[in-house]
Amino acid sequence: MLRDIKVNKTQFIAIFMMAFLGIFAYTGICSEYYGLEQTSDAFYNETNLADGWISGTNFDSVDVGEVNNFTTQSERQFVIKSVGDFDGEPDITLHFVENGTISKFYVTEGSPVDINDDSGVWIDKRFADARNLTVGDNITFEFEGKTITKTIRGFGYSPEYVYESSPASFAPDFNNLGFAYLSYKAYPDNIEYNTLLVKYSISDVDFKNRLNDSIDYLSVTIKEDQFSVAQFAQEMVQHKMMGDIFPVLFILITFLTLLTTMTRIVTHQRTQIGILKAVGFNDKTIVLHYILYGFLPVLLGSILGLITGPMIIPQMFYPTMKTHYTLPEWNPGFDMSFIYVAGLLVISSVVVTYLTCRNISKENPANTMRPKAPKLSSTNFIERSKLWRHLSFNLRWNWRDAKRNKFRAFMAIVGVMGCVALLIAAFGMNDSMNDLKSWEYDDINHFESKLSIANNASALELYYIANYTNGSFIMQMPIEIKANDVEDTVSILVSNNTDLISYTDENKNPIEIKEGKVSISVKLAEKFNLTIGDEIRWHIVGSDEWVTSKIGQMHAEPISQGLIMSPDTLEDQGLNFTPTNIVTAEKFGERCDSIKSVTPLWKMEDSWSQMTSAVMMMVYVVTIVAGLLAFIVLYNLGILSFTEMEREVATLKVLGFKTSFLRRLLLTQNLIFTAIGFILGIPLGFYFMTLMMDAAGDSLYYIPTLTWGNILLSAIITFSLSIFVNLMFSDRISQLDMVEALKDVE
Amino acid sequence: MNTIIEFKNVNKEYKSGDHILKAMDNVNFTIDEGEFVVILGPSGAGKSTLLNLLGGLDTVTSGEIVVKGNHVENFSDDELTSYRAKNVGFIFQFYNLIPNLTALENIELMKDIVDVNIDGLSVLDSVGLKNHADQFPSQLSGGEQQRVSIARAVAKQPTMLLCDEPTGALDSKTGVLILNLLQDMSNNKGTTVIIVTHNAILAEAADKVIRIKNGQIESIIINENPRKVTDLEW
Repeated sequence: MLRDIKVNKTQFIAIFMMAFLGIFAYTGICSEYYGLEQTSDAFYNETNLADGWISGTNFDSVDVGEVNNFTTQSERQFVIKSVGDFDGEPDITLHFVENGTISKFYVTEGSPVDINDDSGVWIDKRFADARNLTVGDNITFEFEGKTITKTIRGFGYSPEYVYESSPASFAPDFNNLGFAYLSYKAYPDNIEYNTLLVKYSISDVDFKNRLNDSIDYLSVTIKEDQFSVAQFAQEMVQHKMMGDIFPVLFILITFLTLLTTMTRIVTHQRTQIGILKAVGFNDKTIVLHYILYGFLPVLLGSILGLITGPMIIPQMFYPTMKTHYTLPEWNPGFDMSFIYVAGLLVISSVVVTYLTCRNISKENPANTMRPKAPKLSSTNFIERSKLWRHLSFNLRWNWRDAKRNKFRAFMAIVGVMGCVALLIAAFGMNDSMNDLKSWEYDDINHFESKLSIANNASALELYYIANYTNGSFIMQMPIEIKANDVEDTVSILVSNNTDLISYTDENKNPIEIKEGKVSISVKLAEKFNLTIGDEIRWHIVGSDEWVTSKIGQMHAEPISQGLIMSPDTLEDQGLNFTPTNIVTAEKFGERCDSIKSVTPLWKMEDSWSQMTSAVMMMVYVVTIVAGLLAFIVLYNLGILSFTEMEREVATLKVLGFKTSFLRRLLLTQNLIFTAIGFILGIPLGFYFMTLMMDAAGDSLYYIPTLTWGNILLSAIITFSLSIFVNLMFSDRISQLDMVEALKDVE
Repeated sequence: MNTIIEFKNVNKEYKSGDHILKAMDNVNFTIDEGEFVVILGPSGAGKSTLLNLLGGLDTVTSGEIVVKGNHVENFSDDELTSYRAKNVGFIFQFYNLIPNLTALENIELMKDIVDVNIDGLSVLDSVGLKNHADQFPSQLSGGEQQRVSIARAVAKQPTMLLCDEPTGALDSKTGVLILNLLQDMSNNKGTTVIIVTHNAILAEAADKVIRIKNGQIESIIINENPRKVTDLEW
């Protein structure tokens, strides 16, 4: 056995590597996703994240008693946005808690939350780190005209703030954003709780119904809709979708190549099996011996993959995830399916080896000792045609070789096809994401900066700024929209036609939104199954005023889906135009009270890039693993073909064919298979790419894009691998011992 | 008769570790054009080594091999390849036809390595296999395959035909047919034919018999009146 391994070591290494890479990629990518899910679940459980948030004006104990009739646990909080007394006036959300039993603050540093402490505060660790705060520092907040100063008792995390976002960018800016937890005793006045956190075991619908029948309240949010929970869940869905497609592809290619390779390795051992039988070994011993062939390398490779995959791949994603999300720990996850998949790989390898081996050992030894009779071939019409006689020997030989070894040819093509599909899918995602980015930040938005208008802005100052910067007022708000029994939260953009923002159609051509018409984004229209002329109902989030609009137009927007209309159109609907931003083509660096923040376009583009970095990381991981897999598949096919053709090649060499000619002969075959696999792999990869882009985001509208450059790059990768593998065999042609190769029947 | 092949003090040693095996020990002989030569000897005597050296499949340790005035022992790998292509027609015990190619294509294959106009069909006709031109090797019997292999070897009009146990895998009746064909090539077409075998009976049919033992020439006998292969007692 050991000697066999030594003799066939390259093949065993190839098998080992295939099992390893397949399992490595599969478990690695999956464990990244499971890790997110498992760590966030653990965090939510440990901190007892609320199932629902009821907001109202002043919840008293009677309200609590009512609510307790259909909930398992409840607690009141007073939640208020405050401004921290720091440079840049950071927004700090304060939570004055009644007991600290639901959505608990998770302390990482300092003392635990003490509900009787009226002078302490527990601060968001990310904010504290960004501002270099230490435990014991005093910190001052301003809200509703009140100013309070408290002593920092500790830092930590909150399950309600796994994701925090700044109004102007996708990526949170921890320098200007944070939260703090305090005891209700720390509140300067008589506290009037505005939030009721509840845990319940009934269904969401029942909960809402029971709630409607019990107390007066303003609004209710359930866990799935909570901002941070929803955002993180969406991120996980994105990872899961990508994590569902790539690993499955990897594992399929692995199964395919591994099993066929095992079959062929055992078939190569045919004569030896015959000899072993002839000298008296029984079938059982022989079969057992060869089963080890299929068992050991696959087992070892799978185990190594199981260990290293979850260790390495998640760590490539987590650092970028950490810039957007806050969890106390980032650990790779584990799922029993990893073991099952690895086990299945080992078992099927053993089963295939067993079946092949049993078929051979069932024959009588006399037959087995000879090579299997070659299949009879006949000439077909191509070979009888005149053209055939004009083909070079090279082409004729390769044609016949492929015809006689259909299985080998098929395997080579499928192997290459799978790897090319992975490469194309990865590159295509890259291209599509880039296309989406340039669409949003080059084609649509042309402004230099976007100024956020402060809540207490003075109209006069705003008009002055708008004039001074040649800016244009826009209003961007989240809206809730209902049509055809579907509900969704999207955004509205209210703006006059301006040079600073160009609306586009599906082909990225600029269009105008006509005065008096409400335009819906194509992606949203598809989701709601709407066409021009249909009616929708919607309201601005935070307002109870529902309006009905008729869709007058459609536009295409890659990143944010929703409605666009002019201020006049909005007012025709009976709503007020309340600008949220000024966009301008000029730089604006002055400080004034009416402007909360200024975000240059490039910064928005940057934060978009950061947000999509997980997708990009996936692209890199897949490219590298697909490349490696392609190499192993090609190398392995190369070895097997070479072993099978060794005698013929030796004969040709003896007859006087030059090594360079033989090299070309094998190269031609390799290149033809690679070319066919490549061509078939492109549409397949394109299809995978659309699957994954669809998975990447509900709110993204994209045009599947694949640049010629990347097709060329995939071609270069695949073909150079193919040629490289071929070169590795060239040496073996020139070193081929002609005498040995011709001697025996084998 | 012209001498076309000459072995001068040829030595061939194989090293395996510290052990040196002398496969050819100071071998000298000549072969004339058109001769029908039989090389005889027991297993392991060095017959195949001699054939491999002459066929350009292996290189000497010392000594000279002169073929048509060229020193084969000085050839590079590429020169050996084109030497094999132009001068040597091999006939193997196991035929070694290319299984992907039909009988005819196996012969026409030679067009790709030598600059000789080959009429594949007429060559096949000369070994009596014109009707099997479009069949693949696996569809032919052993004797037929060996005849295709002879046709392939002679098609390129080589200086010599080197036959390594050409009847080893055939029954005796078919074997005689093959040997007869080879003798014809020598007698009627002037081809130099060198056959390596351990079957001593064939000696009576040879123009020259070279017996070797332990890597040395035991004897070289020239038959003045060689018998026809078909007249031998098998």
